[in-house]
Amino acid sequence: MVFRAVRNDVLRSKAITLITTLFVAAATMLVALAAVLVVNLAGAIDTMMTRAKTPHFMQMHAGDLDRARLAAFVRQNEDVAEFQVLEFLNLDGSQFVFGGGSLAGSVQDNGLSVQSERFDFLLDLDGNVIHAADGHIYVPITYVQDGTARVGDTVSVAGMPMAIAGPLRDSQMQPLLSSSKRFLVSSNDFAALERFGSVEYLIEFRLHDLAALGAFGTAYVAAGLEANGPTITYPFFRVINGLSDGLMIAVILLISVLVIAIAFSCIRFTLLAKIEDDYREIGVMKAIGMRVSDIKRIYLAKYAAIAAVGSLVGYGLSFFLQEPLLANIRLYMGESEGASLAPVLGLIGVVLVFLAISAFVHAALGRFHRIPAAEAIRFGASQEAPSASRRFRLSANHRLGANTFLGLKDVLVRRKLFSTMLVVLVLTAFIIIMPRSLHNTIASKSFITYMGVGDIDLRIDVQQTDGISAKTAEIAASLERDGAVSRFVVLTTKALEALSSDGSKVRIVVELGDHSVFPLTYSAGRAPTTDHDIALSALSAAELGKKVGDVVPVMVEGQARDLTVSGIYSDVTNGGKTAKAALADDGADTMWSAVGVELSDATLVGEKAREYASRFSFAKVSSMDDFVAQTYGPTISAVGTASFASTGVALIITALITLLFMRMLIAKDRTTIAVLKSIGFTNADIKTQYVVRSVSVLALGVLLGTVLANTLGESLAGAVIAMFGATSFAFVVNPLEAYLIAPALMALSVLLASVFGTLDAGKIQVSESIRE
Amino acid sequence: MGKIIVADNIVKSFGVGRERRNVLDGVSVDIDEGEFVAIMGPSGSGKTTLLFALSGMDTVDAGSVVFDGVELSRLSDDALADVRRRKMGFVFQQPTLLRNLNVLDNIILPSVRDGRKDAGRISEKARALMKMTGIEELETRGVSQASGGQLQRVGICRALMGDPKVIFGDEPTGALNSTSANEIMALLADVHHTGTTMVLVTHDVRVATKAERVLFIFDGKIAGAHVAGRCDASREDLRAREGALVGWLTEKGF
Ligand SMILES: Nc1ncnc2c1ncn2[C@@H]1O[C@H](COP(=O)(O)OP(=O)(O)O)[C@@H](O)[C@H]1O
Ligand SMILES: [Mg+2]
Repeated sequence: MVFRAVRNDVLRSKAITLITTLFVAAATMLVALAAVLVVNLAGAIDTMMTRAKTPHFMQMHAGDLDRARLAAFVRQNEDVAEFQVLEFLNLDGSQFVFGGGSLAGSVQDNGLSVQSERFDFLLDLDGNVIHAADGHIYVPITYVQDGTARVGDTVSVAGMPMAIAGPLRDSQMQPLLSSSKRFLVSSNDFAALERFGSVEYLIEFRLHDLAALGAFGTAYVAAGLEANGPTITYPFFRVINGLSDGLMIAVILLISVLVIAIAFSCIRFTLLAKIEDDYREIGVMKAIGMRVSDIKRIYLAKYAAIAAVGSLVGYGLSFFLQEPLLANIRLYMGESEGASLAPVLGLIGVVLVFLAISAFVHAALGRFHRIPAAEAIRFGASQEAPSASRRFRLSANHRLGANTFLGLKDVLVRRKLFSTMLVVLVLTAFIIIMPRSLHNTIASKSFITYMGVGDIDLRIDVQQTDGISAKTAEIAASLERDGAVSRFVVLTTKALEALSSDGSKVRIVVELGDHSVFPLTYSAGRAPTTDHDIALSALSAAELGKKVGDVVPVMVEGQARDLTVSGIYSDVTNGGKTAKAALADDGADTMWSAVGVELSDATLVGEKAREYASRFSFAKVSSMDDFVAQTYGPTISAVGTASFASTGVALIITALITLLFMRMLIAKDRTTIAVLKSIGFTNADIKTQYVVRSVSVLALGVLLGTVLANTLGESLAGAVIAMFGATSFAFVVNPLEAYLIAPALMALSVLLASVFGTLDAGKIQVSESIRE
Repeated sequence: MGKIIVADNIVKSFGVGRERRNVLDGVSVDIDEGEFVAIMGPSGSGKTTLLFALSGMDTVDAGSVVFDGVELSRLSDDALADVRRRKMGFVFQQPTLLRNLNVLDNIILPSVRDGRKDAGRISEKARALMKMTGIEELETRGVSQASGGQLQRVGICRALMGDPKVIFGDEPTGALNSTSANEIMALLADVHHTGTTMVLVTHDVRVATKAERVLFIFDGKIAGAHVAGRCDASREDLRAREGALVGWLTEKGF
């Protein structure tokens, strides 16, 4: 009995059943995909970092190295399991010449390494430790992927031709956000090339227990060991390895939440419409003593069937789609060892979606119990005529045309029904506007100021060389004379010791100079101005346990000085633990210095970059646009593509749902339409009335969607961007896109769908619908 | 007096293949301007179908219907809607009102369709009609709060709003008790006296008694016409007309 009733109902509303099933399928597919991707990404990162034996604590150091002192420290520190010092031979980008061009324009610090003996291995694509033969070079996989290097070709490194033997995976420097890239060569070749660059040391430790990391860091600082360079720890490596794929997963999760909401709206709409249709019938059934639960069971069975079919199809589809999405993770990180768990987790997600739909239908059907039998039989329709809409009268309204009035009035009267359409339109407006704004935000020039970098045209770095101060002064002098330079500022980075809230010594990398020239965007507070101010990166602030206004004792010129935290900013460079101050400390060693330059004519950037690069060969000159393009470019363009894709998907959803809703309404409203025709309303009149319905709901939907995208969307995007270290930011909204193009596109798809959806209205014959 | 409706040999069939049959099988009717014609016949004989054909509410398969000098089959859907709105009024057995609107709004709806310029005049007129039909107190009520007889009056008011040339009725008293039916009939008779042409399908002999001509339709054909002439509404005249009509109908086997 139940089966036959369900089958009949499905047959009678084929299109609606199909579309609802599709949305359920899409929702479960996305949930399953997200689950599979999360498991694989986490697993692949773990596997790679386990195989490569990524260091737990790494101190980069430029300058002299006292190996004996380090060895002594390790001997008496009980936490250390393994210890090694690797050499990283920094070469200028122009020293790497590939068939297609050199790395001269690269903002990365490119250099050579030999395979280490104990840990921090460079791996091949099968996850094995590579041993480079003489004359062979292995290149970071990024360069193979972007086409810079081709396996089998030759690359000239500082004039020495070497065969590109294959790509390598680097468990700590691989992501674009990490600013160095290691090439692997044999030790003979390394020795031969050593004189062309400067050696930087990677002082690396693995601990018995990762939990001791904090204590170990403090001990390292307290021992006053080599520390001319950033410190990076295992958890940070993990985070940056997962960033770009994590972003993709976050987007998929977001979209799946929206699609689930749309699937629910579809179900709610069809159920409400159905209940309205069957109102009298349900009343009659109640009157003759049938149990409501019997009726409910029929509907529950129908939606359980839809949910089951949709979930299975969606789960199946997720297997096809996961391959291309996993390809990137596999390529950069390799296979995940826990991957067999992924389908199970995906299945759990699918089951959850199924259960949620069943529960939702059950709740929506609660309405059945509230149908009073007498009223249902007498009037055949629900009597909840809303009081507000009763005051909206044709006779009291002298401006609206009859068609506009009828359309609006119906939206008011049946607002429960139309609110589900509204929800869908709000969500689709959200899906269109939010990713576009996210893209505009991260693509905007000001975004970089959220990431710990000022808004400058050129950046000149002086590092890993002797006499940094003198060389920087030389650059400053020539910038002073250059008429094309409107402003510049010299920032000198030194490592200072600070006392954290719990009394331990923490080494922080402090950038000293005038931070008011090219200001950052601070997530809290402001730039340091006096010599008793300090601004902390979010990670430093967390480590030190400080917030704005707190006092941090810092060793300045050999004495403890109480600095006040003036502001907190986001930073993912140099291990993320940085600070900025306006004070001077001539005693401490300079780790590096950087000059930020603003040109009076920004179009001269390329020319000026080349000029300064050739004049000061010891410095690294990069245009900020190149820096952004190379560091964040792939992410920005991925988000851009995703935003266009989501706009397309949202428009299709808008059209589909509008079409579906209009068709259902026309089917429900046959009698009303016949009545209107009998009293002389034309087909065009009736079409207009339905367009008024959908357009008025659309207008409200776009309005709410835009507001929502700029509030909730901003926080959601904030959560995504926080993964990159930016703790607070404001959306950059392109008003033309958000307030004109997006609504216009939605209006277009709603209009088209409404016109097509109401074609049937013309076919309704008065004579068939009103017949005594 | 001119002819308002001239139907010539109209045929209308329903069903497909073997099932197909002529529901109207060569019907010809002429109706004078200002005439009151009743259509009677057994259930399923094609009365409603004929009414829909004469009013252009439905197309015919053969033959022609000329309404007020225009052949209806030549008109587009929109032009038909215009004719319906400007020259015709309909009263059905069940009130076909919009549930979303209150009583007054239902009445003015078709008139407002053509513009809001004289909205004030439209509402005035609607109120006058409501007063005439005795439902002035319903003005702001919802449709679901009125009785069947009241709703039928609302329908009549709506039909009269456009000063139609012809009122078509399909058993307008069929769903009412006899008191309400009498009141509605009296109303329609009054409307007829103002010069409006009436075409009513009815089962009710007392309704048909008021008609100047009664057509008897059987199996899709006009099986006879009973011409009673103008009704002067006196009690004796009515009784005599009813007697004659019943006699004629019995003769037809009704
Ligand atoms: N749309 C339709 N499709 C099929 N048959 C129809 C349709 N409309 C009317 N009929 C048939 O035509 C015949 C006459 O119907 P109708 O004109 O409504 O009769 P009545 O004289 O009772 O008003 C009936 O047998 C009916 O079943
Ligand atoms: Mg009939």
